[in-house]
Parts: sequence; C-alpha cells; structure tokens
Amino acid sequence: MGFGDLKAPSGLKVLNDFVSDRSYIEGHVPSQADVAVFEAIKAPPPADLCHALRWFNHIKSYQSQKNSLPGVKKPLGQYGPAGVADATTTVAKKADEDDDDDDDVDLFGSDDEEDAEAARLKEERVAAYAAKKAKKPTLIAKSSILLDVKPWDDETDMAKLEECVRSVQMEGLVWGQSKLVPVGYGIKKLQINCVVEDDKVGTDILEEKITAFEDFVQSMDVAAFNKI
Amino acid sequence: MALRELSSLEKYLGLKKPNKYSSRGDKKCPVLQNNNGPPLVGLVTIARHLVKEAKCPEMLGETAEDRAVVHQWLEYRVSKLDGCSKDDSRAILKDLNLYLQDKVCMAGDHFTLADVLMYNGIHPLIVDLTFQEKEQYMNVTRWFDHIQHRAGIRHHLPRVVVLRNKIYTCKHH
Repeated sequence: MGFGDLKAPSGLKVLNDFVSDRSYIEGHVPSQADVAVFEAIKAPPPADLCHALRWFNHIKSYQSQKNSLPGVKKPLGQYGPAGVADATTTVAKKADEDDDDDDDVDLFGSDDEEDAEAARLKEERVAAYAAKKAKKPTLIAKSSILLDVKPWDDETDMAKLEECVRSVQMEGLVWGQSKLVPVGYGIKKLQINCVVEDDKVGTDILEEKITAFEDFVQSMDVAAFNKI
Repeated sequence: MALRELSSLEKYLGLKKPNKYSSRGDKKCPVLQNNNGPPLVGLVTIARHLVKEAKCPEMLGETAEDRAVVHQWLEYRVSKLDGCSKDDSRAILKDLNLYLQDKVCMAGDHFTLADVLMYNGIHPLIVDLTFQEKEQYMNVTRWFDHIQHRAGIRHHLPRVVVLRNKIYTCKHH
C-alpha cells in the first residue's frame, strides 16, 4: 500500500493513476483518507497529472471541514494501490525494498499501477546492481602471445630487429622476454613474448605494425596464444 | 421513465408524501397537479419544485455560479440527452468526458440536482458501453461510478459494473 514518495514525481504519478477512476481515496465520499493523503502533498500536482490535480482541488474545497470528515486517519502507507512499496517506513537499503516488493505484489489485487511501479523498481534494481558491480575489481581479459619474427637472412642485425619490435607501443601491450632461436642456415628467428589486453590489442594489428619494418622483418607468426 | 425518476428523486430527498404524477403529450412530459396553483409541467420544473419542498436548496447549487451551472445541465438533460440518437450519444459522451476532467461533480464541489438528473439521463447510454469505451471515457465512468454508489440515488436503475481493464489504455492523458 502507499503511493511511494509523494514528494517526488513518481509518487504523484502513482496517485494520478489511482484516482483516475476514483473520486476519493477511499469509498465514495470525502473522508480522513483523503485528508491524510492531501496533507502529504504540499503543492498542487502539475497540470499534466490531470486526475491528481482534480482530486487535489476537490479536497482543498473541503479544507474547512476536514476534521469532521468520516473515517479514521491511518498512516499514509495504508492507502493507495496494493503492490506499491510503502516508502514511508523503509528508509533502509534498496536491496531490502526490492525483496519486499516481490513478496507484496498481490496477484489478485489491483494491478493498475504496476506499470509505473515496475518501471520504478527496475530503475532501482539497475542502480543497485551497478553499485554492486562497481565495488568489485574489474577483471580485464588478458592474453599472453608468443610471436615469431623472421628476418630476411642471416646478415640481418637481430639486435636491431628486436629494437624495432619493442618500439611498437600500444595501450594494453606489454613486451616480455625474448630469445633467439636458430632455424637453420645460420638464420635465427626472434621469439618474443607479450601480454595484451584482449579488448585493446589484436594479433592482426600487431602483425601489421611489425611487418611494417620491411627492412628487417620478413614475416611474423603467432607461435602461441594463451589466455591469462 | 420520467415518472419513476421523479419518484426515486422524492425518495432521495426524503419527501414523505409521494406525489401523483401524470403524463401529457407524446413526449410524455410529467405533470404534477398541485392543489393550490397551476400544474407543473416538465421534468426540470417538477424536480426543482421537489427540491424546494424538501428544503434542500444546496441541491441547486451554493453560489450563483454553481446555480447557473446546475441550471445549464438540467436544461442539457432535457434538450440534448432525452431521445438522442446513437451518433449524438458519442458526441455527448465526449463532451462530458472533457468537462469532467477536472471536476468531481457536475457543478462545483458538491453533489447537486444536476448530478442526479444527468445520472438518470446518461444511464441508458452507459449501460450499452463496452469496457473499452468505458476506459476511453474515463472521466465519465469515474463520475458515474461515484454517483451510483451514493446512498439513495440509484433506485430503479440497475447498477453498472465498472472495472479497470489494463488491456485498454487510457488515451486522453
């Protein structure tokens, strides 16, 4: 029960929906129920919530008689559509409120306000989830790639070649160990390790950059690719 | 029809002695024969007379403006509502819906004779509305439901069921 926070536009919307097919909060004559809700709203609702405004103006005209209206004034959370979280009592954690709403939804009760309510609940849940996610340290996907860089011939200066390869700088790319592996005929290939972040660096980009050094590099291969 | 309406109005106003009515002409205008004075002809005239007899002047409106509005709706009832065709009824409902958007009762903030007579007049129209149409004319439905629940109004007319239905959304927001 309850309208949510009547000082916020979301609560006023719930009230608007509730009174769209009712003249009074409870029953068919003005009562203390109307007085209770009226006092919770400080200012007239905006003109686009035409039903709430109509109800507000009507109850305002009873201001002089408000103490003599029938009924017993109950706390604000007792009025309004079933299934709406009682915002007057729960000031506490959002997570609790979400759980309560699940239990409170009355399957056979009035479902009219569920649209506004469902939207509001969803927003709250998204916010809570995002907050939880932000607290966890974000795991970044990384991989370890072993590259084979082959020179043109055995005359190529391997030290220079390595320097060229290491000069390739990219965000998310960290060069690791390297060693020279003989392939035959005196030619050695450079095996160099690197750790990349999957989102930022791809092997094709690496290949492009390394084979750009055409004087030194004949070709590049991915010898091994391991996820970390 | 008008005669039954008048007798139920009498009951509502708490008049002890039911009057004897007759009808006149092919439109069946109700006639009230008074002992002292000329006969009263016409639904509105007789209704007003009954209200005065019951000493409930607030039923005719409290301020001058309210009284004018009540009178306007009483006239509306007799001239437009009684004997209107199907097409007219759509237009009437649309007008009423717009008028009732920011009002709880027909005239001012209190229940008046205008509410009673308009209720009686519009009842045959509402009975034929589908649920979708009831949602469409949300304000009329709301006002109608409010009136028919007020004690003592609905005597001879069957109660119309009003249910919110989520399938048909309200178009006039």
